[in-house]
Amino acid sequence: MTTVISAAGLQKRFGRTVALDGLDLDVQSGEVHGFLGPNGAGKSTTIRILLGLARTSGGTAALFGENPWKHAAELHRRVAYVPGDVSLWPNLTGGEAIDLLARLRGGTGDRAGYAARKQRLLEVFDFDPRKKGRAYSKGNRQKVALIAAFATPAELYILDEPTSGLDPLMEQVFNREIARVAGEGATVLLSSHILSEVEELCDRVSIIRAGKTVESGTLAELRHLTRTEIAFAADGLDPAALAAEIDRIPDAHDLVIDHGRASFTVDSDRVASVLPELTRLEVRALTVSPPSLEELFLRHYGDELTERVAEPVEGARA
Amino acid sequence: MTAFGTLLRQRLRRDRLQLALWLVGTALLAYSSVAAVADTYGSESERSEILQLATASRTILVFRGTPNGPELGAFLFFQIFAWLALMGGLMSTFLVTRHTRAEEEQGRAELIAATPAGRVAPTVATLVLGVLANLALGALVALAFIVGGLEAAGSWVAGAAIAASGIAFVAIGLLAAQLFRTSRGANGAGVAAVVGAYLLRGIGDASGTPSSDLLHVTPAWPSLLSPIGWGQATGAYVENDVAPLMLALGFTAVLVGVVFWLQSVRDQGASLLPGRNGRAAAGPALSNSFGLAWRLNVSTLIAWAVGGAVAGLTASSLSELVAQLGGEAPEIADTLQAALGGGATLEQAFIATFFGIIGVLAACSAVQVGIRARQEEAHGTAEQVLATAVPRTRWLLEYWFVGVIVIVVVLAAAWLAGLAGAATSDGADELVPLISQAALAQLPVSLVFLGLVLLAFVWMPRLTIVLGWVLVGGAAILGTFGPLLGAPDWLTDLSPFTHSPVPTGDDVDWAGGFWMLAIGLVAAALAVASMRRRELTTAG
Ligand SMILES: Nc1ncnc2c1ncn2[C@@H]1O[C@H](COP(=O)(O)OP(=O)(O)O)[C@@H](O)[C@H]1O
Ligand SMILES: [Mg+2]
Repeated sequence: MTTVISAAGLQKRFGRTVALDGLDLDVQSGEVHGFLGPNGAGKSTTIRILLGLARTSGGTAALFGENPWKHAAELHRRVAYVPGDVSLWPNLTGGEAIDLLARLRGGTGDRAGYAARKQRLLEVFDFDPRKKGRAYSKGNRQKVALIAAFATPAELYILDEPTSGLDPLMEQVFNREIARVAGEGATVLLSSHILSEVEELCDRVSIIRAGKTVESGTLAELRHLTRTEIAFAADGLDPAALAAEIDRIPDAHDLVIDHGRASFTVDSDRVASVLPELTRLEVRALTVSPPSLEELFLRHYGDELTERVAEPVEGARA
Repeated sequence: MTAFGTLLRQRLRRDRLQLALWLVGTALLAYSSVAAVADTYGSESERSEILQLATASRTILVFRGTPNGPELGAFLFFQIFAWLALMGGLMSTFLVTRHTRAEEEQGRAELIAATPAGRVAPTVATLVLGVLANLALGALVALAFIVGGLEAAGSWVAGAAIAASGIAFVAIGLLAAQLFRTSRGANGAGVAAVVGAYLLRGIGDASGTPSSDLLHVTPAWPSLLSPIGWGQATGAYVENDVAPLMLALGFTAVLVGVVFWLQSVRDQGASLLPGRNGRAAAGPALSNSFGLAWRLNVSTLIAWAVGGAVAGLTASSLSELVAQLGGEAPEIADTLQAALGGGATLEQAFIATFFGIIGVLAACSAVQVGIRARQEEAHGTAEQVLATAVPRTRWLLEYWFVGVIVIVVVLAAAWLAGLAGAATSDGADELVPLISQAALAQLPVSLVFLGLVLLAFVWMPRLTIVLGWVLVGGAAILGTFGPLLGAPDWLTDLSPFTHSPVPTGDDVDWAGGFWMLAIGLVAAALAVASMRRRELTTAG
């Protein structure tokens, strides 16, 4: 495995705003890497630096081992990029924009192959290429960039919040395309603030906040950081006795008995040690839920979230 | 009512600088034209002769107005009213589109429409802002005339005429915003209406019935179809008849009724003229970034080239007339010749001056190419191009190249149209080399402005648009009006336009041209080289 993206101690200031404050990011070849962080965390800024569109104020960034600022154009031959907020040329049709971007990327040498790939993508994304740029909705503008990216072979796909504006059906199509290019051996950097999307697609994730990397690893590695929830039917059990039993399990916390169900949490890497106790209690309707990335997020941005309780995490997609 | 008040205040706030510039600029033009007319055509006999010549020639009337006697106020109204009304019309068009269709296209109007303000209040607020802006314009112009020494009653009628025609263009702009899907389409239609109104009035004046002393003209019917024609029909300073302005206000009332009706039957964001579908795949022209730069600039290129052709044709067809003037009215010819630059024949001086204006056109077209580069960057589309295998230096170099093509095409259009106009004249043999040299002489100054706008783009990206227009506009005013208004040499010399070679006679001094050629190329090279170190600068 070779390193495709490596950034160390990345800094970026815009006047007095500190956008990146010592960010680290490593992506190995063949990996689908989730790049997670709330709005304003610095995801797009990092991506612009990786593409050589912006310069670092400090730290180092390398793409395929080369300095992206100095070798931007050569590196871009190997990269397909989908920006976070796709703008189109008002007087070009969607189809013209797709062809133009694919040609500029140099991915249309094999004409028949390109035409076939494009045709297939136009169909699966259900996209009408004949409208003028300004007539497309946000989701449809996103599709232009996605089709142009997936229609040209690339070693690295950099996708900045690519599914914002896509409906759930199209998200599924998108997921299949990611799986396809990953299956063909490409590397993918997928930025997002939507956790379920990353959870489904990514091998590894880096979580950033306020321009710093706060966590990085495989999903399994990160899961040990949170608690698994264990729940079972509580009817027929004496609450007081049950509480005493659970208390004796060393790693169990937060017991709640409510609506006929008992639940408690346990550190994810200690689940196995809890099971014999549960067997002894002969519990029924047992459920064991691994933590979702929502919980990871709540942990890392918890203090921020409690300040803004009115905003639901899941719904905050824009 | 509170929503309306909020929306009106928001519009005033957003426009304060832009409107102030339009208002003060137009008032200054009005004021300086009083001064210039009083200076150049001081006596009534001079004014009578000019009027008679203009009436006899007819074509001059297209660019002036309805002759209405040699009295100073009436003469000034004849000279400048249509231009001021044109400015007011453009101000109104841009103002209306900015607050209606552009907002809708950007999706911001939807945010407002979803509040209790609803869909109608923004249109009402825009209408009121437009009316207020035109009332202010009329008042300022009237005051400028009065301060310049003209009689008050006539000045107020002239001001009212400008306000009324401007208000009619506010209504036309509002209608265009209902009809077109994009702000570009709405602005295009609005500007076409203003220019069309100007030309209708011009045709009406040129084909009108002159009085026997050639000092008065009764315009033909096309003038009566034009808001600018209605303003002119007041006969300010002579008849002072405001009745024709009622026509403008009635027209406005009817259009505004139509606009509100259309607004009530269409969806938010929709238009009455649907957008058309285009091709599903890109043609071979769009296969590289140069093809894209070309495609993005070609429609403005055509517009500027048409302007260049019209100016070139006017230059050569009017020059013959000006030559006649030399025979018929020697003292005016002398004045003109002095103003245009001594030494040469009147005809040569006239062609040189007119091609100087064509040079300003070509420089503006070059500036617009640089501005397009900035718009691509601010809009976010340049980011996608630069994230492909296109190096940023090459990207900018291609814009420079497109700029050079645009300049050459605009000048060539003026040159060819000038030759076509000269072909019918007696002295065609002399005119052909003169026109060719005059066209070529505009190339260096245009390249200077192309280089400057690209430097602004690289060094001060967020100021590209403002700097581009301010530089070219300031230099054009300094270069063309500076000498007339008696500005000192060191000041007018700051304008690159004053250094364009002036091909009058046999020994033409091309040195200024070579210097500017060098400066233009160096500026462009510096811009492209600096692009190496320039990062993407998004809007905001
Ligand atoms: N061109 C810029 N000028 C000034 N501030 C910027 C610019 N681009 C980004 N920022 C700031 O940098 C921070 C990170 O932004 P961004 O990278 O867009 O975050 P994300 O993509 O994670 O939402 C934000 O606070 C943003 O306001
Ligand atoms: Mg972003």
